[in-house]
Amino acid sequence: MIAKEARVEVMPDVLPLKKNKTWAKVWSFRAIYLFMLPAFIWYVVFCYYPMYGILIAFKDFKYNLGILHSPWEGLRFFKQFLSDSSFYSVLYNTLSISFLKLLLGFPAPLILALMLNGVMHNKLKRIFQTISYLPHFVSWVVVVTLMQKILSPNVGLVNDIRDHMGLKPIFFMGMPSLFYPLVVISDIWKGVGWGSIIYLAALTNIDPHLYEAAEMDGAGRWSKLFKITLPCLTPTIGILLIFSLSGVLNAGFDQIWLMQTPATLSVSEILDTYVLKTGIQQGQFAYSTAIGLFKSVISLILIVAVNKVSKKVSDVSLW
Amino acid sequence: MGVRKLSAADRMYTSVNYLLLLIFCLTALYPFIYFLALSFNDGYDAMKGGIYFFPRVSTLENYSKAFHNPHILKSFWISISRTVVVTVGSTLLTALLAYGLSRKGLPGRKYIVFFFFFTTLFSGGLIPTFILYRELHILNTYWVLVLPSLYSFFNAIIMKTFFDGIPLGLSESARIDGASELSVFWRIILPLSMPVMATIALFVGVGVWNDWFTGQFFIQNENLQPAATFLNKMISEASFQSMTGSSSGSAIQNMNQNQMTLRGVTPEALRMTFVIIITAPIICVYPFLQKYFVKGVLVGSLKE
Repeated sequence: MIAKEARVEVMPDVLPLKKNKTWAKVWSFRAIYLFMLPAFIWYVVFCYYPMYGILIAFKDFKYNLGILHSPWEGLRFFKQFLSDSSFYSVLYNTLSISFLKLLLGFPAPLILALMLNGVMHNKLKRIFQTISYLPHFVSWVVVVTLMQKILSPNVGLVNDIRDHMGLKPIFFMGMPSLFYPLVVISDIWKGVGWGSIIYLAALTNIDPHLYEAAEMDGAGRWSKLFKITLPCLTPTIGILLIFSLSGVLNAGFDQIWLMQTPATLSVSEILDTYVLKTGIQQGQFAYSTAIGLFKSVISLILIVAVNKVSKKVSDVSLW
Repeated sequence: MGVRKLSAADRMYTSVNYLLLLIFCLTALYPFIYFLALSFNDGYDAMKGGIYFFPRVSTLENYSKAFHNPHILKSFWISISRTVVVTVGSTLLTALLAYGLSRKGLPGRKYIVFFFFFTTLFSGGLIPTFILYRELHILNTYWVLVLPSLYSFFNAIIMKTFFDGIPLGLSESARIDGASELSVFWRIILPLSMPVMATIALFVGVGVWNDWFTGQFFIQNENLQPAATFLNKMISEASFQSMTGSSSGSAIQNMNQNQMTLRGVTPEALRMTFVIIITAPIICVYPFLQKYFVKGVLVGSLKE
C-alpha cells in the first residue's frame, strides 16, 4: 500500500483527476488523522458543546426540558443585568483590579529580567532565577494560606512585629481598603519570576555588537538601556501587552475567590466570582450564563481588535 | 572586548542590583521557611508568637498527626492518583495531537489548527460547562477530576514547535523503510522529544496537583476531594470560625476538635504542616526541569 502511494507522489501526472489525488493524499495521512481523533472528540465535547450551551442565556432553562426544548426568553436576562446596579459595581471592581494589575504588574517582570541580566555571575543568576520561579508553581490556595497566616491578627508574622513595636494589630485580609494593594502585591509576587523568562530570552537574543559599538561612542548604562535594550524588546513587550489587554475582564478568578471575605465583598466581587455565585450556588443558570456570555464576547472583541491595531501600528500580532 | 575596569558607578550599580535581587529572593522563599519552622513547632507554643526562622519547641507531632489523619491521607491519595493519570494521559494525547499538527503537507492543516485555536479565544463559560458535566454524569465522580484536564492548546503548540525542529529526514527515511506512523512516532519522535515531554508533564502535573476548583464545585463527595480542595476547606472553615466564633459540626471541624484535645497539635499547626506537605513535591521537582521548561516556554510563546 505504502509503495503504491509513493509512486503516485513521484509521478503526479499519471493521475489526471485532481480530486482523486487529494483523496489519495488524505488517505495516505489516515494514521495522522487517527492520532488527532481523540483530541477532536475531546474538543467537540468539552469546548464546542458548551458553546452550544450558551443558548441557555436566551432561554428559561429547565433541566427536564433540556437546552433545546426550554422556552425562549429572548434578551430578558441581558436586560436584567443591564438594569441591575450590582452588575455595574461588579464590572467596576473587575476593571479596577485588572487595570491596577496591568499598571503595576505588567512592568514588573521586565524590570526583574533587566536586573537578572545585570548579574554576570552565571551560577548566582541561575539560583536567583530558580528561586524567583518558585511562587509560580505553588497553588493560589497555598499562597492565600501563606498570606492569611503572615497577615493574621492572631500572632501572624506582621502583627507579631507590630506588637513588638507597640502597635495595634490590623486585620489586613478583612479591610476593604487594603484589598486591592494585597491583590496586586500577591499577584506580582506569584508571577514576576515566571513572567521574566520571556524577557530574559529576548535579552540574550540582542546582538552584543550593538552594545560594543555604543560603548565606543561613549554611551553610558542608561543610554544603552533606552537606546538599545528597550527598543530591541519592543516586539516581546507588544505581544505580552496584547495578551494582557485582551484579558482585561479576567481579574484573576482563583486569587480573588480565595482572598475574598464577607467584609471585602463590596470591592472584591468580580465578574467571574459573580457568575459562579449566581450560577452554581444560587442556580440562576440563564442569568449567570448571560453574564458569562457578555464577558466572553467582549473579551473576544478585545483580543481581535487589539491584535488588529497592533498589527497595523507595530507589525506585532498573535496571528 | 578585553576585561574592562569597573568604574565606581558600575560597582555601585552592581551592588545595588545584587542587593535588590537578594531581597526579592528572600521574599519569595521566606513564607515557606516561616511555615516550615511553624510546622516543626509545638502548636500551643506557636500561639505565643515569635517564631521566625527556627522552631522553638521542636516536634514531629504535627507531621505524625497529618500522616495519620484519614481525611488528609484520602485527599492525598486522590491527588496523587489523579496527577499520575492525567499527567501520563495528557502528555501522550497532547503529543499525538501536536505530532499531527506538525506534519507538513497534511491536507486541511490550516483549518484543523484553527479548530483547536478558536477554543482559546472563545469559550462557553462556566454554566454551560457545568451543565455538560451533569449531562455526561461525571459530576461528583472521579472522571470529572480527569477528563476535563486532558488537553490544552498551549501545551500542544509548545510540543508542535519542538517537533518542527526535528529534522524531517529522520522520520522520512523510517517511513520509506516501511515503518508505520505509530512506530515512527513511538520509536523516533518521542525518544528525541524527552525534554519537551518532561516540560509538558511538569506543567500538566503541577496544574492538576494545584487544582482546587474542580473538587470544590464539581464534587460533593468528601471521599473524592483532592488535597488542594481539602486544604482550602480547612482554611475557609477556620476563617469562618474565627470570624463568627461559632463551630458548626462539619467533618473538618470535628476532626480539628478531636485533634485539639491531643497534646501539642492545634488546627493551625496542622494547616501549616499541610501547606508544607502539599508544596514539597513541587519544590522537589521543578528545579531539575528548569533548563527544559525555560526553553519550552520560549519556543511556544515566541514563534507561534
